[in-house]
Amino acid sequence: MQKIVFVTGKGGVGKSIYAAALAQKYSMQGKRTLLVELGDESFFKTFFGLPQVQYTPTKTKNGFEVALWSGGEALKEYALHLLKSEAVYRLFFENKVSRALIHIAPGLPELAILGKITSGPRHHGPSSPHDVIIVDAFATGHFLALMRAPKGMAQAISFGPMGEQSRSIMKTVVDSSICDYHIVTLAEELPIKETIELYDQLKTEFNISADIILNKKLNTSLQSNELNSDDNEFVKYVKETLTREEDARKRLQEKNLSPFEVPFIYDKTSYELIEQIATGIKL
Amino acid sequence: MKSTQVVVCIGCGGVGKTTVSASLGYMLADQGYKTLVLTIDPAKRLATTLGIEGTKEITEVPGVQLKGKLFASVIDHQTVFNEFIKRASGAGADVTPIFRNKLYQQMSTTLSGSQEFTALEKLYSAYESGEYDWIVLDTPPSKHAIDFLNAPQKLSALFNDSVAKWLRNSDGKGGLLSQIISSGTRQVIQILERLTGSEFVKELRLFFFYIHAWQDKLENRIVQVHNLLISDKTRFFLISSLDEVKMTEALNLGQEVRKQGYQLTKIIINKSRFEKTFDFKVGPGSTQSAASLKELELFKVSFEKYIAQREELLHKFENSVANRIELVSLKEYLDPISDTDNLKLIAFDLSQKIKL
Repeated sequence: MQKIVFVTGKGGVGKSIYAAALAQKYSMQGKRTLLVELGDESFFKTFFGLPQVQYTPTKTKNGFEVALWSGGEALKEYALHLLKSEAVYRLFFENKVSRALIHIAPGLPELAILGKITSGPRHHGPSSPHDVIIVDAFATGHFLALMRAPKGMAQAISFGPMGEQSRSIMKTVVDSSICDYHIVTLAEELPIKETIELYDQLKTEFNISADIILNKKLNTSLQSNELNSDDNEFVKYVKETLTREEDARKRLQEKNLSPFEVPFIYDKTSYELIEQIATGIKL
Repeated sequence: MKSTQVVVCIGCGGVGKTTVSASLGYMLADQGYKTLVLTIDPAKRLATTLGIEGTKEITEVPGVQLKGKLFASVIDHQTVFNEFIKRASGAGADVTPIFRNKLYQQMSTTLSGSQEFTALEKLYSAYESGEYDWIVLDTPPSKHAIDFLNAPQKLSALFNDSVAKWLRNSDGKGGLLSQIISSGTRQVIQILERLTGSEFVKELRLFFFYIHAWQDKLENRIVQVHNLLISDKTRFFLISSLDEVKMTEALNLGQEVRKQGYQLTKIIINKSRFEKTFDFKVGPGSTQSAASLKELELFKVSFEKYIAQREELLHKFENSVANRIELVSLKEYLDPISDTDNLKLIAFDLSQKIKL
């Protein structure tokens, strides 16, 4: 069975790099892995120095593949699959008016993206050759909108193919034998707050138990109480950073969450960085 | 009536846009201007500092001593959108059915483009009031900084009159003329129904029926705002963190944005270098245990590498930017006692590097 891992978190916490490391880890275990970015522009193109990242997967030097999926393209693929005719498709999608409408009709692009991601396990559309799909998904707010799209659509339309699709997507994304959810955070006030809020929302709305990833942990075994901050600025800085990490852990523990911790690595090139983080990940 | 000037801070999520926006406001107010900072989702501590925690009203920032006056507000998207609809629908119009429509509820909060619209709507009404010398606008979180500028056009496309007409006239109840016009679009509607089911199309029609009353006004508003944004009253600052991919994106974006007619003159690199060079002497006289000292020594070596790395990255970027755009590198402060102090420190740093 194909495995799908959604990686989300507040903007700027490093979720893309964590998602890539996860893809690397699965790839190292011999799984054919696809790393998917959502949206119109690619981060990994610059990060990995690839000539192109697009809808069709591209191979990276590290073994896994990477693709960029936008709502528009996912919708096009879905429509073509359903209409089975390029001519009918063109009549509809190349009509200026319907194109404007389709791209912004509330929830439709989000639904198409989720449909594409889950098409393997649902046996819908072209079959996927990958064992694992890692989705470098939207940041928290937009991620919830993505998750809510099938429900909203299923409520708005009870009948017809779209209603059916929505229900099947909904069933797949909450199936814990298929989908995993990782929320990446930093040991800082806003990311931790958003992480806990998102964790609770996923739990109450979808009965999903997400894993928490605490990123950029200082690479030392020191603890804040070992340090005397009166010593000098450097010791003070380390002590304060460690205190923030300890506070973050405490806030997560109050919710019975124990985060997986990723060390802060900076002196590495893109590929080395991904490899080093991947080595520390336990699946 | 004041002749108001505007600063819009754009940048992708998590780079510190809100803090930099608030600090810019602080700087301008301290130069004697009456300044308003419009923020989106500030951290609790910052909201408390600005005196806007738990309120959506424009509030004067408490506990600061400035030459001018500093006001702040959090943008509440749903309220701003609803207020706009009420005004656009005209006095006495019944707006309950549209507020109840599911598609409207989705659109006014989560639809891409709507948060950007409400941010700009709030900006424009503050601008129109003529109350302020300067308005600093923080922008909604997005994956890419360009999203903010493209959003209103995206929203505007939805309200394009032809889209609405097309749906309204395709229900078969139009006059003879609309029946002739829509003979081609009927086919398109059929496909839409095949793809989504007829209920969705019904919901859409209803939605467009409701919004008919204010779509012109929304279109007009988007045009007005656009004119303000490309006028010489408005300048854009692009905020980035010290990150190779993000800075490269920022540089490309800066050029793209200027081509579109916006005044983007500065890239602000937030937290680009520590305010002071660390004194790493942790040897004799220190009160740490021997084991801690050893571990601290080890960590020190890796931390020094980290600082050198950041410095190198910044230099590399400064060189690649050369004369293409002005680069403002802000300091990273180590332990400011309070958020007010933090704002004050960043504002001072900004005032040394930016003249408005």
